[in-house]
Amino acid sequence: MTVNIDELKDILLKVEKPSRYTGGEYGEVKCPPSPFYFCMAFPDLYEVGMSNLGIKIVAESFIKRGYAADYCFAPYTDFGDAIKAAGVPLYSLALKKPLAEFDMIGFSLQFELCYTNLLYMLDLAGIPLRRADRAGKKYPVIAVGGPCAVNPEPLADFVDIVFIGDGESVDADVAGIYLECGGATEEFYRRAAELEGVYVPALMEVKYDKEGHICGFESNFKPRRAIVCDLDNAIFPSSQPVPNCESVFDRSIIEVMRGCYRGCRFCQAGFIYRPVRQRSVETLTRQACSLIASTGYDEVSLNSLSTGDYPHLRELLRSLKGSLPEGVTLALPSLRVDSFDSEFAQDARKISLTFAPEAGSQRLRDVINKDITEEEILSAAESAFDIGYSAVKLYFMLGLPTENDDDLKAIRRICDLIKSAYGRKKRAKSLRISVSVSTFIPKPFTPFQWEAQCTGEEVERKQNILKQTLYIKGVTLSWSDYFTSRLEAVFARGDRKLAPVLERAYRLGCRFDGWTKELKKDLWEQAFEECGVDPGIYTRERGTDEILPWDFIDIGIDKKFFARERQRAYSGVVTGSCKNACSGCGLQKKCPAARGEI
Amino acid sequence: MIAFKYTKTDGAEYLSHLDLLRHIYRTMRRADIDVAYSGGYHAHPRIFLNNPLGTGIKSVAEYGAVESTFAGDFMEAFNSRSPDGVKVTKWAYVKENPNYANCIVKCTYTAEGIQPFDIDNFLSEKSIVITDLRGREVDIRPRIYTVERRGDRLLFTLGCGENNLRPDLFCSYLEKRFGGHAEDIIKTASIMSGDEFV
Ligand code: SF4
Repeated sequence: MTVNIDELKDILLKVEKPSRYTGGEYGEVKCPPSPFYFCMAFPDLYEVGMSNLGIKIVAESFIKRGYAADYCFAPYTDFGDAIKAAGVPLYSLALKKPLAEFDMIGFSLQFELCYTNLLYMLDLAGIPLRRADRAGKKYPVIAVGGPCAVNPEPLADFVDIVFIGDGESVDADVAGIYLECGGATEEFYRRAAELEGVYVPALMEVKYDKEGHICGFESNFKPRRAIVCDLDNAIFPSSQPVPNCESVFDRSIIEVMRGCYRGCRFCQAGFIYRPVRQRSVETLTRQACSLIASTGYDEVSLNSLSTGDYPHLRELLRSLKGSLPEGVTLALPSLRVDSFDSEFAQDARKISLTFAPEAGSQRLRDVINKDITEEEILSAAESAFDIGYSAVKLYFMLGLPTENDDDLKAIRRICDLIKSAYGRKKRAKSLRISVSVSTFIPKPFTPFQWEAQCTGEEVERKQNILKQTLYIKGVTLSWSDYFTSRLEAVFARGDRKLAPVLERAYRLGCRFDGWTKELKKDLWEQAFEECGVDPGIYTRERGTDEILPWDFIDIGIDKKFFARERQRAYSGVVTGSCKNACSGCGLQKKCPAARGEI
Repeated sequence: MIAFKYTKTDGAEYLSHLDLLRHIYRTMRRADIDVAYSGGYHAHPRIFLNNPLGTGIKSVAEYGAVESTFAGDFMEAFNSRSPDGVKVTKWAYVKENPNYANCIVKCTYTAEGIQPFDIDNFLSEKSIVITDLRGREVDIRPRIYTVERRGDRLLFTLGCGENNLRPDLFCSYLEKRFGGHAEDIIKTASIMSGDEFV
């Protein structure tokens, strides 16, 4: 069966941006009949998902092996409600095939606040939310992957398979096993669970003690993260669908490196993507040229967690400029302060300069291992001002471990120094500084995985200090919503006991929780209350002897390393970049940096 | 300049005008059809399309022009790199911008599903007043040029540009008055004050 969009006309005419739901993108997947149908699902809007490179890589890994892969994004509530009322099932973009008819649906979990949207999409597809309610019936295998999959436990009761780590190969390997087993049989799950990068929640039992704390995991399998060692030869989609309507990033994306050398102690991405793997200048140039030719975009974005650390950046920029058609611009979204120099800055658009010192004082920056100094910020800012920048965006975190009021007040000092650096010369425009402050969220597989998250009152008190100290001309202050950060913190370090809360919240009407205007705080509170779950249990400090809900996953990094890093944080000792010296995180065998190859 | 006639079907009828312009621009980039830029601070590609068509209305008679030095087979180059719903069906070199946004004065559409009614009688009315999308009363009679029945479909020509009457609005008026539900409204011809490609 396929859904005919002509029959959806009355709905399409009533919703915002109907072209999100019609397909017909240039470069959309054209699938010949195939033995296996994979739907790459993204639990956020079309324009967000279409800007994501990861899902295109996963889709390509299926297509390369002769399987069909199509996309589906979370429809906005107007369209979702309308198709539900009309009895039309959620369908995939190119094939217009109802999701329930696929062999496997893989959801990409970019952040925890998309979890209700996963339920929303299953519901719209007419697929029972809970694994138990699907058992024994012909439904697609429900899989999840992406960064949040490193602690998938809050979703364990809803999903069949979790892909942990790099999705280039293993996801499609599972399809092969599925075909060999003639479907999602017990044998299929057992064989899949043996693969590196696969976790099957049904094959693991979590044991709790009398107080309800986890006291063990029972399973014959040890889920390990999949790591693609050779990124240069890894699968990469040389052409990609071009979205119908303007999306978050209307540009081609190449992935320069995966992983980050820095090891900032709050940053989950800095650990779960270790070790750093790079693509060569030749490969990147080839990929960029092919994407520009096949999409018609006029910008290439050089993505990675810290593109400035790419050792051949200058060579890459030169090679791209020499090979790409004239007029194509380069975007370097993740340049760090200390790698910022004016030669690169001129490639970016002169809008505003972004720094993420994360903490106001050098003391606290040492604690979090954010190895940036005031001088580095200032010299980078000054060279940017000299080429015409007049706006600076600064990102900070509030509620970091060991943070005191002086650390917060030190943010003022950075602003003052930037202002006086700007004032040193006569400039055409007046300087604008915007300070954005988010609340620290302790994440699994980081040295801060045991830390508490600040309470609401504490956050408010700290925000008031900032309001007072940052009341200066030309400086605007903004923060992320506290409740949002709290919810993210709960699910990031959550366990299986959150399943009923999640389901209840969805049934009460929560979806698109990551969108401030959609987040329904009261309904979430109601869900926690009705399920008798205290969110505080999840945001509290965890004991070092506790078994953490994600401890059963082998991410490749020793838990002892995280504990050691936490102690170093408390002593304010910086752990340098992996580029300079290996700090022995446990990945040495797989890590080119540890072998001295970088 | 190159002037061209193109389609807006297969889902492309739901593109906003700006998104359509972006699609056409990117198609040309993919196809190596060079596009001149306007001067000025906010330079924009010199692509000119006829007036926006209402969302959800298909068309096989859209017109556009592009300032380009491209010397090959424009239709073949464009269509090899365009989305399924946006295909060039005719093209020519023209001396200057035909300005389709102004010179298209009437458009012909077809639609299915409107209950048959006495067309002669309908057309003999001196004035037909409807409430438009902004809630104003307008007499649409002067904007209706022809109405014919062809088998299952109704074929009608309405004013465009200054004298514009949206076909979906016209159809919903007919639905209300005569019954039925208009399906599959397609613009089949654009009628210009001068020649198609000058
Ligand atoms: S093995 Fe060493 S160099 Fe490699 S990521 Fe771990 S700490 Fe860094």
